[in-house]
Amino acid sequence: MTEMQIERGPAAATEPDAAVAMARSSILRKLARDKGALLSAIILSVIVFCAVFAPILAPHDPYDNNLRNMLKPPVWVDGALPEHLLGTDGQGRDIITRLLYGTRTTLVMGLLAVLAGGLIGASLGLVAAYFRRLEGPIMRLVDILLSFPSILFGLAIAAVLGAGIFAITIALTIAAIPTIARITRGAALVQMQMEYITACRAIGMSDLRIIWRHLLPNCLSTIFVYLTLQLGQTILLGAALSFIGLGAQPPTAELGTMAAEGRNFLFFAPHVSTIPSLVIFLIVLAFNVLGDALRDVLDPRLRQ
Amino acid sequence: MLHHIAHRLLISIPVLIGVLFIGFLLMQVVPTDPATVLAGPTASAADVEAIREAMGLNEPVLLQFAMYLGRVLQGDLGRSLISNTEVLVELGNTVGPTMELMFASLIWAVPLGITFGTLAAVRRGLVSDRIIMAASVAGVSMPIFWFGLMLIQYVGFKWQLLPFQGRAGPLWTLEGLRHIALPAITLGGVFIGPVARMTRTSLLEVLGSDFVRTARAKGVSERTVVLTHALRNSLIPVITLIGLQIGFLLGGAVVTESMFAWPGVGRLAVGAIVSADYALSQGAILVLALSFILVNLIVDVLYAVLDPRVRAG
Repeated sequence: MTEMQIERGPAAATEPDAAVAMARSSILRKLARDKGALLSAIILSVIVFCAVFAPILAPHDPYDNNLRNMLKPPVWVDGALPEHLLGTDGQGRDIITRLLYGTRTTLVMGLLAVLAGGLIGASLGLVAAYFRRLEGPIMRLVDILLSFPSILFGLAIAAVLGAGIFAITIALTIAAIPTIARITRGAALVQMQMEYITACRAIGMSDLRIIWRHLLPNCLSTIFVYLTLQLGQTILLGAALSFIGLGAQPPTAELGTMAAEGRNFLFFAPHVSTIPSLVIFLIVLAFNVLGDALRDVLDPRLRQ
Repeated sequence: MLHHIAHRLLISIPVLIGVLFIGFLLMQVVPTDPATVLAGPTASAADVEAIREAMGLNEPVLLQFAMYLGRVLQGDLGRSLISNTEVLVELGNTVGPTMELMFASLIWAVPLGITFGTLAAVRRGLVSDRIIMAASVAGVSMPIFWFGLMLIQYVGFKWQLLPFQGRAGPLWTLEGLRHIALPAITLGGVFIGPVARMTRTSLLEVLGSDFVRTARAKGVSERTVVLTHALRNSLIPVITLIGLQIGFLLGGAVVTESMFAWPGVGRLAVGAIVSADYALSQGAILVLALSFILVNLIVDVLYAVLDPRVRAG
């Protein structure tokens, strides 16, 4: 969607600090010109803000049930209660409150998994690019991981550890590793052709130092773009696993679990299920649009 | 050609053993003791021990793995801890419906995706391209269960157009077709976006190549250029990518089956895991992984058949 709007420009590779700063501000300016990306960034900021300050913003307690007030509709439907703007769920709990806490759980799950998976994946990618002898085995492993449907990791790990947030976060982490590893390797291989790597070697710098101080920083923008895109996918997968009952367990507020709980009331109180599903949709969409735009701006070469 | 197939086959052997071993290992560290579960809550410690012995749970791990491999090769995947029917029988009943569902989803979603992708590529940069691409990003971001819930709520319940629970029979019967419609629309729906995207990218690449310019220079009509020259060549990567996306489809199938009470492997796996059915969940995961490896193999071979360059290289 955003692919057409941004002209290709050379990627900022290695420049002096002033130039880097300039490049950075121009990146922001280019991003801001992309309306979809701007809107996504705003939506995500609001969502993250709500998730972080959920305890302050929430009008009720997420576990406070009141069976007399169960399945109240949202305000735009007759019979709504003014103190529950989006209505209540099957146990009379306030949906806005649970959305705030649920977004928190969903985001933390996704972020943890993407950060852990990104860390492992990026390390694998860097090592594969730097030590060519290890490239074969590492990339073969990565290819196998990549070829497997992520949902199978979820099923297998939930089978072992029992359904729950912990099992699902591990599964999401594993699912995030291969993409990041491949992308990092690709970016690092380009850097390995550069003369500064040869120069570093010539002055006797240690391998670890070259990787950490020179190779990694030059791959960071690429890694960052794909982490953003991966975050959307990870959240979507986590929500799906929770929805089928393998993720967060009731009464924990989590968006996928909330959607699943609402299935029982789909025919007379559809909002219990559809509102959390819509929030997931919105979050993932925003991450994907922003990720696409970031990719176009930061790394036009990678755009396919 | 044969060489290529043999190579792919050889590569899949370690993966196969890896899958079997991981499946086996995963079940070794299972926190619920299967013997205790099987013996029931009122069993004495001696009963549990006897069952442990009978199940071979007291042997060393590697020996257990060898025993396990032997059993799997003979098609013995054990018995479900809950229904006590043979896992292979339960799986045998579910593989068909899952394949049926995937087929019914692909059969309409892939042509539609390719059509949208072609339209977008031909009208590159125009409004229709933007709309199709925006829709495909939205499609990729859409939780499959939201789409399914919407269909159940409106098409299934409010308008009473189609049934949304279970399977009524094979595809060629009217009732069977009516029952598969909503699950297939759900699963296929999330597949259109990725296919459209791939087709667009691939077609744009081909449209920029020399032979297309030559065809245009010869005065071939734009329609023929796109449909006969370019689309044909761009479909090769699309087919591979569709093959690679089978895993994505499988994931969607697990969710879709759970939602529509479709009696497939995915629903079986989820049910088995939730109820801690040791043998059944392992069998279901195994079948999902193995069928996945098989599909990848087929796609690889198909790729070689379609693209002479792969055969030569």
